[in-house]
Formats: sequence, C-alpha cells, structure tokens
Amino acid sequence: MNRMHYLSAIELRDAFLKGEVTAQNIAQHFLKRIEKHGSALGAFLSVLGPRVLLKAEALDKKRTHGKPLGKLAGIPIAIKDNMHIAGEITTCGSKFLKNYKAPFDATAVRLLEEEDALLIGKTNLDEFAMGSSNENSAYFPVNNPWNLTRVPGGSSGGSAAAISARLALLATGSDTGGSIRQPASFCGVVGFKPTYGRVSRYGLVAFGSSLDQIGPFATTVADAALVMETIGRSCPYDATSLDFPAESYKLTQDLKDIKIGIPNRFLENLRPEVQANYLSAIDIMRSLGATAVEIDLDILKYSIAVYYVLATAEASTNLARFDGIRYGVRSPSAKNLEQIYDFSRKEGFGREVKKRIMLGTFVLSAGFQDAYYKKAQKIRSLILDAFEKAYEICDAVIMPVATSGAFAAGAIHDPVEMYLQDIFTVPANLAGLPAISVPSGFDSEHLPLGIQIIGPQMCDVSVMRYAYAYEQATRLAGVPPAFADEEP
Amino acid sequence: MADFDRQTLEHLKKLCRIECDEAEEADILNSLKRIIEYFAQFDEVQIEKGASKHSVLNGMTGNRWREDIPETLLTREEFLSNAPDQIAGMIRVPPVLKTQ
Repeated sequence: MNRMHYLSAIELRDAFLKGEVTAQNIAQHFLKRIEKHGSALGAFLSVLGPRVLLKAEALDKKRTHGKPLGKLAGIPIAIKDNMHIAGEITTCGSKFLKNYKAPFDATAVRLLEEEDALLIGKTNLDEFAMGSSNENSAYFPVNNPWNLTRVPGGSSGGSAAAISARLALLATGSDTGGSIRQPASFCGVVGFKPTYGRVSRYGLVAFGSSLDQIGPFATTVADAALVMETIGRSCPYDATSLDFPAESYKLTQDLKDIKIGIPNRFLENLRPEVQANYLSAIDIMRSLGATAVEIDLDILKYSIAVYYVLATAEASTNLARFDGIRYGVRSPSAKNLEQIYDFSRKEGFGREVKKRIMLGTFVLSAGFQDAYYKKAQKIRSLILDAFEKAYEICDAVIMPVATSGAFAAGAIHDPVEMYLQDIFTVPANLAGLPAISVPSGFDSEHLPLGIQIIGPQMCDVSVMRYAYAYEQATRLAGVPPAFADEEP
Repeated sequence: MADFDRQTLEHLKKLCRIECDEAEEADILNSLKRIIEYFAQFDEVQIEKGASKHSVLNGMTGNRWREDIPETLLTREEFLSNAPDQIAGMIRVPPVLKTQ
C-alpha cells in the first residue's frame, strides 16, 4: 500500500475496513509524507503525530475485535487551524494565539472524530482567515503544490495544498468569502461551502458571523459528500445552526432536466483562458442533459464592496475579544490596563488584521454607518432578491471560481485588486448559498482552474449531485507532478 | 462618502485600541483610502422605498435559542488555563484605581 495516497478517502476507508491496511500503517504513511513534503509547502502549522498514532492503534483494536467502525474510519484528515481540537493549540495563523490551547472541541471536529477519522494536523491559513493568498499567515506562507512560486489561495490555503499534495485525504476549511472554494480552485481539488447554518460554527474562531461556514476539501466530490453527511448536523451551541436532520448525499451521473443559470453580463471581461474554460464546462454540462438559461445577476458587481463592508464590520466586533486579558498574548511592556489592550493588539495582530478591524470600525462609526454599513446591508438584500429570482428559472448558477489560476506570491500589492480576487465567490456567502469548486482543467501555465456550482439555500445535496455528474464526465483532478511519488 | 485622512486614522486607532508602528500606519492609511474610494460605487445603487428586507436567514429557521439552563461547558480551571496572568482562581490585571 505504498501508493495509498493515490486512493480516494472512501477507497482507503474501505481498504482499512477489509483489513488490507491497518490504521497505524495509514497514519505512519501520511505522517511520513508530511515530514517529507511539509516544509516545502508550509501547509501545516502543527502535526498531531502521537495523537494520531494512538487513535490509529485504538482503531486497529476496534477492527480486530469486530466492533462497529465509523464512516470515516482510518481516513487521515487535516483541520484548518481556526477550529478547536481540545487540548491542541489553535493559532488562527496569528501570533496572538501562538500558545492558545483549545479547551473544547469544535462541533465539526467532534463529529469527525466520532466517525473515526484520523486527525493528523492543523493547517496553515491567513491570519484569522483574512486573505486570498495565504501570504498573511503570521508564521510562514503556504506554497502551491502545482508550482511552489505560486500562492495556494486563501484563506484555507494550507488545507487545499495538503489535499492537493496528498498529505491527507480530507481537510476542513472555513469559507467567509471564498476561503474554501478559491484555494480549492488554485490547488486543483474539490472544496464545498455549505448553506449558511448547515455546519455548526461552534468552536470555529469567528471572523464574519453572518458569512462563515465550515466545509470540506477532498480529492473527489463523493469524499466531500461523505464529510458533509458527517458534519452537516444541527447543533445546540450555534444559534444559527439549521434545525434540520443530517442529509444523505445520493450522487448521480447525469444532469437530465437540470437548468443551469449563466449570468452573462456579470461575467463580461473574463480573461480569455478563464472564459474558454468556463464555456467548455457549460458545454460538458449540456452534454450531460442540462439546459443553459441566461440569468440577471448584474447586482453582483457590487458584491465585493458589500462584502468588505459587512465582513470587516463583523470582524471588528468579533476580534474585540482579543484584548490580552483572558487568553492569547499579553504585552510584557504594558504597565496599565489600557496599555494591555493597545500593546497586546499592536504586537499580536498582523497588518491585514489591523487594517480590517479599522475598516470595520470605520464603517460602523457614527456619521458613516448609514453610508456604508446600512447601505451594504440593503444591497445585500438586493443580492438575495436577485438570486431568488434567478432560481425561479434555473436550478444552479454556474460561474468560474476565480479570475485566474494561482498568481505569484508577492504579485498583488493593491488591496482592492487583492479583494477583487473574491468577486465570484463572495456572492454565495452574502446570500448564504451552498457552492462548490470542482477542478475544470488547467491554464496555459498548467495551473489548475475550477468551476463553481451555486445552488439555492438548503440545496446542498443537489449542488453536490451536479458537481459529481460533472466530475465523472471530466475527471480533471490530478496529482501535482512534484508530489506524484510512488512511496510515502 | 467620506475622505479618509490621518486624523480619521488616529480616531480609529483609539476606537479599535490598536497601536501601529510608522510603516504599518502609512500602509494602512493608503490602503484604507483606496478601499473607501472603491466603496463610492454604493452611490450608484438606488434603494427604492419598501425595498427588500431579505436577510440571509429568510426561508430558514431564524435563530435557535437553547433553554436558559446553566451548563458546565468549561470548568474554572479549564477557562483559566489560557489566562496570561491569574491569582487565586481569578484573572489578574494591573490596578485600575489609583491609590491615594
């Protein structure tokens, strides 16, 4: 089983259940891969070696004794380091939390463990999930496995890179404005953002509370669906958790009678190779039985401005809790209470986080709230209206995930240009919609591109089904050449 | 729409309780100016009276509230285990009141 990293998560689980490989072999294999490739990629902030080996040993005993095993039994999974694993450090990619030991499990993490997943490490991210390139991690940047000089996307770049390079077979991410889908597209893997409220946010360090959702990264759509069956559950500790039972994801291979919505005017001015890739994806969906209809989502051109007002406003309040009093760093040079706040936040936060806290405070401040925050809320409502109208005539909206393939590290300096990287992903967050990124080919530099399928609220299963049909017809995911080794 | 200047930044630093070094401050000032200029596009959008009140939770269940029953989610020791400074089971901070 030297090539077990080439298997899908489901295939590896089945091999473990049949006794073809032990959980300890699996854990050791992926730990070796992380040791071998981890530092080139910067994907992991911590590796849970002893913990995962103990869990693997327990799983092997369970299997030997014929005890029931969970649906994720023996699958190595990486957790984005803004989600709590009790007893382990949660840094959020920030110096502020460099020593913060999580006192409880995030609900999503607990559910994964209950299904016998092997939690193998915590993945790197932009500080407090604020970024589109992973260049904002306070520790070290993540590199794209397809080309180490390129960014992996952000903010869940560590998770995307880890899956792409097969250092784990599943990973969690959080998506506030595209932080799962954009890195999935850049790294050539599957990334899914569920309907807002589908996965509990309990134990996820909050960024934009009306936008944040936890979701899976995987090498196949079916693997992502398996994670959703596990974590897409109601939770009493998240007041916005949907009060519906977990869903079963039955996947099918055609798109018969499905209407796909094409927002042509909003997608004007795509780069030629992104446009060619997009049109080719539409053609493939048509060949699978879908009918394309034109829809009006012109209002989405305001979505970046709306998003960066609302997300920063929410972040400025959420990050007020980091004050150096109860947890996190406290500045040693502070002499009084006010200096504790001022100095701890100065020393603990990176530049992008400071920028966003200040921007969020500005748009909420007296005199400017009506012009920015309230206006953004109203336009958000118009965006919801536009999607609702679109879904009267189509079942899913199809868009590119990103405006290009992965860009070079350090290439984007203008903040607005960086924020515009999220233009195709933030609409789903603003409207609370389920959306997936599926590999759709490569650009001229052989960097992956992704296609995005966005469904109506609550239609997570449908989105996954459409993605599965497209994936089965195309099979465009691959292993980056530098990581396509035949041994651990 | 607003002009964003150094004075506004100084005010924001106090509101946010964030200090910055000089290089950071110059970068943050330029970035925020640029971003706030970008937000001027809001002026193009006319919001009609009685416009949509849609919220992201429409069509869903709204907030769920638990019964108001105390639970022990964290013990005092667990909570304090991350405190930067503590004394006798409490978080310690520098004196707030000046002694005469």
